[in-house]
Parts: sequence; structure tokens; C-alpha cells
Amino acid sequence: MSAVVESRASKRAKSVALWIATFALMLVMCLPGLWVMLSGFRPNREILAKPPVWLPEALTLDNFGKIFGWGAEQIAIPVPAYFTNSLIIALTSTLIALAIGMAGGYAFARFRFRFKGGLFLGLMLFRAVPGVALSLPVFMLWSKLGLIDTKAGLIIVYVSLNVPFTIWLIDGFFRQIPLSLSEAAQVDGCTRWQAFWKIEFPLARSGIASAGVFAFLTSWNEFALASQLTRSTDSKTLPVGLLDFTAQFTIDWAGMCAMAVIIIVPALILTFVVQKHLIAGLTFGGVKG
Amino acid sequence: MIRALTTKRPEMTPFLLLTPALITMLFVVALPLVFSLWTSLTPYQLTKPQTIYSFVGLRNYTRLLTDPGFWIPFGRTVLFLTIALNLEFAFGLGIALLINKITWGQRGLRTIMMFPMMFSPILVGFQFKFIFNDNIGILNNALQSLGLTDQAIPWLVDAKLAMFSLLFAEIWMSTSVFAILLLAGLFAMPRDPLEAAKVDGCNAFQTFRHITLPFLMPFAYIAMTIRSLDVARAYDIVKVMTGGGPAGRTELLWTMIARTGYENAKMGQANAMAYISTVLSILFTWYFYRKLIAARRFMGGVQ
Amino acid sequence: MAAITLEKVVKKYGALGVVHGIDLTIAHEEFVVLVGPSGCGKSTTLRMIAGLEDITGGLVKIGGQVVNDLPPRKRNISMVFQNYALYPHMNVRDNLGFGLKIAGQSPAEISKRVGEAAEILGLTPLLDRTPAELSGGQRQRVAMGRAIVRNPDAFLFDEPLSNLDAKLRGQMRAEIKKLHQKVRTTVVYVTHDQVEAMTLADRIVVMKDGHIEQVGTPMQVFNHPATTFVATFIGSPPMNLLPATISGGAVRLADGTAVPVPDRLTGHVRDGMAVLLGIRPDDISPVGHGLSQDGPGAEVALTVDLAEPLGMESLIYTRLAGQEVQAKLYGPRIVAPGEVLTFRLALDRAHLFDAATGKTVRAL
Ligand SMILES: Nc1ncnc2c1ncn2[C@@H]1O[C@H](COP(=O)(O)OP(=O)(O)OP(=O)(O)O)[C@@H](O)[C@H]1O
Ligand SMILES: [Mg+2]
Repeated sequence: MSAVVESRASKRAKSVALWIATFALMLVMCLPGLWVMLSGFRPNREILAKPPVWLPEALTLDNFGKIFGWGAEQIAIPVPAYFTNSLIIALTSTLIALAIGMAGGYAFARFRFRFKGGLFLGLMLFRAVPGVALSLPVFMLWSKLGLIDTKAGLIIVYVSLNVPFTIWLIDGFFRQIPLSLSEAAQVDGCTRWQAFWKIEFPLARSGIASAGVFAFLTSWNEFALASQLTRSTDSKTLPVGLLDFTAQFTIDWAGMCAMAVIIIVPALILTFVVQKHLIAGLTFGGVKG
Repeated sequence: MIRALTTKRPEMTPFLLLTPALITMLFVVALPLVFSLWTSLTPYQLTKPQTIYSFVGLRNYTRLLTDPGFWIPFGRTVLFLTIALNLEFAFGLGIALLINKITWGQRGLRTIMMFPMMFSPILVGFQFKFIFNDNIGILNNALQSLGLTDQAIPWLVDAKLAMFSLLFAEIWMSTSVFAILLLAGLFAMPRDPLEAAKVDGCNAFQTFRHITLPFLMPFAYIAMTIRSLDVARAYDIVKVMTGGGPAGRTELLWTMIARTGYENAKMGQANAMAYISTVLSILFTWYFYRKLIAARRFMGGVQ
Repeated sequence: MAAITLEKVVKKYGALGVVHGIDLTIAHEEFVVLVGPSGCGKSTTLRMIAGLEDITGGLVKIGGQVVNDLPPRKRNISMVFQNYALYPHMNVRDNLGFGLKIAGQSPAEISKRVGEAAEILGLTPLLDRTPAELSGGQRQRVAMGRAIVRNPDAFLFDEPLSNLDAKLRGQMRAEIKKLHQKVRTTVVYVTHDQVEAMTLADRIVVMKDGHIEQVGTPMQVFNHPATTFVATFIGSPPMNLLPATISGGAVRLADGTAVPVPDRLTGHVRDGMAVLLGIRPDDISPVGHGLSQDGPGAEVALTVDLAEPLGMESLIYTRLAGQEVQAKLYGPRIVAPGEVLTFRLALDRAHLFDAATGKTVRAL
């Protein structure tokens, strides 16, 4: 009797220890990111202080004020323009990639056709071309076409960057939906097109949304291509803009950290919103043949 | 028109649906790759536009293949990826197994685990440049405050330490991918084989080795395939943290391509390097994709 | 009037033919069941009628109109799928009303007809639930409700009961039968369960490898199987088939045992013909323990190999002319292996099949 109680107690202790260990590990994993984000709310002089200031005395929004030109001081880097560019480019390329990916994913999920496996693999392999490697010829071609330093130039590139993966994810989501649902709808009087929009699309909607988030993040975070294909405030994105700070005479660490916050917060929010579907999408697309 | 086409020749429907995807891929990837191939066969320099028309055959490639200045970064890249991917897999597996054991607050932990995944690689690079900074970085500050060292450690300046720092950043960024997919695998794992193994007298390690691990392999291959699609993101990290320095000691294939092409304007040579790196990436992806397909077939028999 | 006619209907997937020229006429309001082993092309045939599968060759007519090139929505049929195919994102009410809504019916009309269908099937209290909140039998009922609500010319069922447990299956079978009596419509019903086929059908269509083997009422198919395939497929346990030759007006089995040719077949056989003698286990019984004691019969002494008591009857495994046969013993008598009993073969219910073609020797 007492042995049972003891073993139950020790089991409990074990699980608590496990929990603490895991939690600590997660904390350590997040620490670097959190530290940078925290530093975005500290004055630069505190960051540079020797001996180091461990506990921030007061958090401030000054860095953001400088970036957006709210206060008296303003930095020379046009972050608001970069932000707008990033938003426009990421959103537009995501929407286009989703439309293309939905058509393609549906084709892979619902039809049998020649070269199916080969086409799918081919799309994936295209996606594997390293960004830097691709940037060279695209840079040369875009110069000829006058697409350098335009939002359109970057949008086109990001669409093609996102299409293969969007197809992978969406294919997986459509495949989860039994074909008989669409057939039932057709028997019920729908055209195939209606059956798609009334039955299959609503059921895959959350999955498609998560594919969209994935595409958005890829575009939002991309650097290798953007750094070569953009020049000015016309098209420079936030990741490229981040490097502007290093070009200055003294590094404005606090400003950079504040900019990091600006880049990461939208990504954080979006990912948390769709995280469940994101994981499901990645595994469904892959595991279920 | 589309409707007319699809009702007349229904077998064309999937191709019609795929046309936009194929067109974008052809225009933005295939066409540039062809152009890149051509350029790699010329001595093209951005500053001398005419050079793009002079064909030199495989000279760029033979020059690269005999140049230690190419082979050293190449080997370093392969080594870097081997270490990074293996450690990411190992850490990811460990984390997944830990979280799988936990019942209370698992969802929260899972969400926290995805945190590094959302960071742009360029941001990760910047973040660790900040943390590893020898002057104001938190790491040196902490080490010094704790009295573990009185000298600032030159994390990003010393060649070996810089390589370590880069690896650290890379692994920090990508371990979550493995952890998440392996965790999804653990969730999907049927209970019966585990229980059968227990009844058959397997100990915990044997169960893991013979039941859990094989079941997780397809998930590991998905992670590998996904990772292999963007291993070149390491470029962003290196670019920010060390720029390939000091003295080229942390140069990877990708930073070398950018330096040769954009800074030295030697597009011909850079494209040859780019081609080699492309083929490498494609082979890598292809390899894991094949493994994934094979593992999937194998699992198909079980389920 | 919605008769369904198939004329020389062929289905090929690439070079692979799965349905090889089927001819079938289904009368208005008739309940026809397609049975056959797995992979014989039942679903494919049904789906060609529905318009979900292209027709490679031949004609499909519904109500006299050729529908080969009409999409499913223009055929005015409804279908119940094996996995029910309920729309998971709609509640029962919307599932039932979906087809009417697509057809542009007014909300008042939709709610009236949904209400009627729900009443018929006892779904009224469930109207606001989603499919995930229903039991298997309830889902099955919703699927049927979705089919009847549109007043189609024909119902198509593809193994609608195969996902239910045995008890529920029996219950739903009865409900489908009742439903058909209430809502008289042409029904094509696919199953590989012969009990379902026997109990539901006005006529049974037995299929094999993309051909029709026999069409007939349940009793015709059971009592007069056209081929050895039908003979062994319908009826459980299956009919025994014993190789034999005709000689001197008798059926001579492999070991020389001779039984007379059944009276009704004497005109149809000739000497030297190789045949298969078909006889159901129910028609081989120990003397005094059979179903029919009169009529022409033959008696043979056989050794019991194994007996499976089933309560009021026992299934007996024995050996006749060197071949294992199954026999039935009616009555609560216990038999032991090794026991030798005299069995009576009820020859008036025996069949002869041409050994070369597998066809019954009696012209139907
Ligand atoms: N899309 C397809 N491509 C190729 N062959 C197919 C396809 N669909 C079905 N078949 C083949 O057609 C044959 C008939 O299939 P069908 O589904 O009609 O069988 P069934 O009689 O309904 O069997 P079950 O009782 O198992 O449902 C099978 O051999 C099957 O393998
Ligand atoms: Mg079937």
C-alpha cells in the first residue's frame, strides 16, 4: 500500500522534474530572440554601457519613435517605406501564389495524369535552387527587362519561390477531403466548379490559409534575392533595410533591435494564428501518399 | 474557353490547372537557369558587357575544379551542412520526445517551440551578431560578469569560434523544423505496436530503436526535404554575422558566389559556382524526396 | 417514367477493360441489386449511370433519354455513397437542403421538403447537428434523406450499409425496404452482401469480371442459377459441385457412384457429356433429417469428417466421390466424426452444369 503511494509520489516528482527541464530548455531556446526583442525597447546607451546593465531601468518606445519619425529625433533610414514595400510585396506575391497553388494543388490531389510524379518532383527541385545562385541570372535578366528595383520584379520572383511549396501543402489538404464529397455535390446538382467552391474550398480553407501564411513568411523574410534585386526605397524590403544600419558609421544597436521587433511581430502573430494547420499541412502533404 | 476545353478533352484539365504554375516556374526559374548555364560558359564580367558573347567552353568549371580557393569553401559548406543537419535532427528528436512525454501545458510548449522558426534568417544572423558581439554582446558580458573569463572572447573574429557561432545560429534557427515534424510523427504513432513491443519484452531503448524510430523516419525525411529546399538560407546568416570573414575563413559556397558575382563582377565564374551549388542542392533534395517516397510506401503497408 | 437502360456499356481505364458490354433494363420503380465479388465492376457500372465516370462505349438511358454526355447534375438521380459523403461543414438541415438550394428552390419550399424528408426518416430532432455529432446509423439516414428530398428519377446506392455493424445493417436494410415502399422510385443498389441482395431486390444482377452472369428475381437466381459462378456465389454455404459424366441416363461421379439424371433435365443431356453436379448442402441430408423427404432422391453412405452443430441444425463436412462436400443435418442430433450415415440427395433440386462452359444444362 505504502509502496504504491510512494511510487505514485515519485512518478509525480519525475513528471514535475521533466516538465521543469523541458520548460527551461524552451526558455533557453527562446532567450536569444527575446533578448533582441527586449533590446528594441532599451536606449542605445544602456546597451553599450560598461559594465553591462542587466536589468533594464525603464523600457522605452523611443527607438520606434525614431524609426517612424514620431519624436524630435529621426534616423536616416526610411523604415516606414521599407515596411510598406515589404507588406505590399509579401501580400501580393502570397495572393498570386495561393491562386496558382490552389489550381496546381487541386490538379495533383484530384486528377490522375501522365508525368504526375515527375512534375511534382520537378516543381520541388526548382524550389531547391539556392537563392543566391538564382539571383545571378535573374539579376542579369531583370536588368534587361527593367525589373530591377521594382516591386513587380520582386513579386514575380517570390511567386515562383512560393508556388512549389504552396502546391505541396494545398495538395495535402485537398487529398484529406474525400473525393465522394465533391461527387455527392455534383449528383446534388452542382457543376464541378460549384462543387469546388461550395464544398471542397470551405473544407480546405484553413489549410489554404496556413499555406498562405507560409508563403507570406517566406516573402516577408527573404533576403538573398531581395538584396540584389532592390536598390532604393522604391522596392527595398525590411530584411534588406536591416543591413542599412551596419553601413552607418556607428552601429545603432537599439535601432536595429527595434527594427527586428518590427520584422518579427507580424510573423509571430500570423504563425500563432495558424500553427495547428501549419503542422498538419506539412505532415499530411508529406506522409499520406 | 477553358470550360469548352475541359469538357471536350477532360484529360487536359489537370494540365490546364497546372499551366500558371508551370509558366511561372519556367519564366522565373528554368529560363534563368538556362541563361545562367550559358553565362557560366563565358568569361562574362558585368563591367565588360561584350564578354557575354565569347564562348569559352568549360573553362570556368575546370578553373574552379583545380582551384583550392573554391574547394576549401566548398568542403567547408558540406561539412557545415553535415554537422548542422545532424545536430538539428538530434536536438529536434530530443525535444520532440521530451514534449511528447509532457501532458500538462503541451500546447503552450509546442507553440513556444515554433518561436525560432518565425525568424527571418537575416534576423537570426543579426541577433547572434548582437549576442556574440565581443564588446557589447550579452554572452561576453555574462561570461565576464560571472568571472569565467576576463578577456572578451572574439566569437566572430577568431576563425574557429566564428564557425562555431555560425553553426550555433543555423542550428538555433532550424531545429524547430525537425522538432515539430517529429512531434507530429509521435502524435500520429499508433499505440498497438508500442504495446505489442512491450508485451514482447522490449525495454524502453529497444522499443525506441525498433518501433518508434522507424515509424518516425518518414517524418524525418519530410523535415529533411523541407530543410534541403532552403539550406542556402545559411547565406543570410553568414552574410550578416561574418560576411565570410575573417580573411575568408568562414566563406561558404553561397557567400563566395555573391562575392565573385556582385563584388568582383565576374559573372561567368560566379554562374559556374552557382551551377555547382544548384546541382548540389537539387541532388540533396532529390535524395531525401526519394527516401520520403520509399518510406511512405513502406508505411502504406502498415497502415 | 424513369426506366434505366444500359446498352452494350463498356468501361476501360486506358487499355484495361473493367466493364465489358453490359446490357440491362431496369423498369420504372424497380429495385435492382447489383451483386458480385470485389472488383467485378459494380461500382463502376453504378457510377457510369450516375455520370461520375465517363462511359467508354455503349449507351446509358434514363427515362428514354440518352445521358452519356450529361453531367451528374443533369441526370436527376441521387446517390448514397458508401462513406455517406455528408458535407462536414453543414448541419443536417443544410445537408438535406443543399441540392434544393443549388436548384434555386425558395427557402420556404426547401424547409418544407426538408421537413418532410426528415419526418419520413426520423431525423427531425437531429436537424441542427453536424455530421460529426451523429452515429453511423444516423449518418446513413441523413445520406438517404439527402437522396429522397430532391424527388429524383432514380436512387443509386453504393454499398450503403457496409460501414455499419451487423445488427444495425439488418435494421437499416429493413428501413431501406420500407422507404422504397413509401417513396416508389427506381433503385439501383450495389452490394456484395448476398443477404442484402436477396432481401431487397425485385431483381438481382449477378456480375463477374465486368460481365453480367445472370439477371433474375431472387428466387430465380437462387433456384435456377445460370452458371456455376452464380450457383456458388448465391447461397451460403455454397452449392457443392461434383465433376461427373452422363452415361446411360445416369450421372456418374468420379468414383463411379451413379445417381439418376433428375427428371426435369433428362431431355437436355446426352451420353458422354462432361458435367458438374450441383447440389446445395441443404439438399444433402442424413435420411430422416432432411428438408424434403419425398420426391426423387438417391441414397449414399458417407463418413462424417467434421460436424459443426449450429443448434437446431448441423453443418456436416464429408466426402463424396473423393471430393469434400458440405451437408446439412436438420434436428438436434449430435454426430461424431468418423460416423457413417446414409445421406439422401434431393435430386429434384439438383443442378447440372456443362463442365466445359459452366452454364446450366437446363435452358431457362
Ligand atoms: N480509376 C481507376 N483506374 C484503373 N482501374 C480502376 C479504377 N477504378 C476502378 N478500377 C478497377 O476497376 C475494377 C472494377 O472496380 P469497381 O470499383 O467497379 O469494383 P466493385 O465491383 O465496386 O468492387 P468492390 O466490391 O470492391 O467495391 C477493379 O478491378 C478496379 O481495380
Ligand atoms: Mg465498389
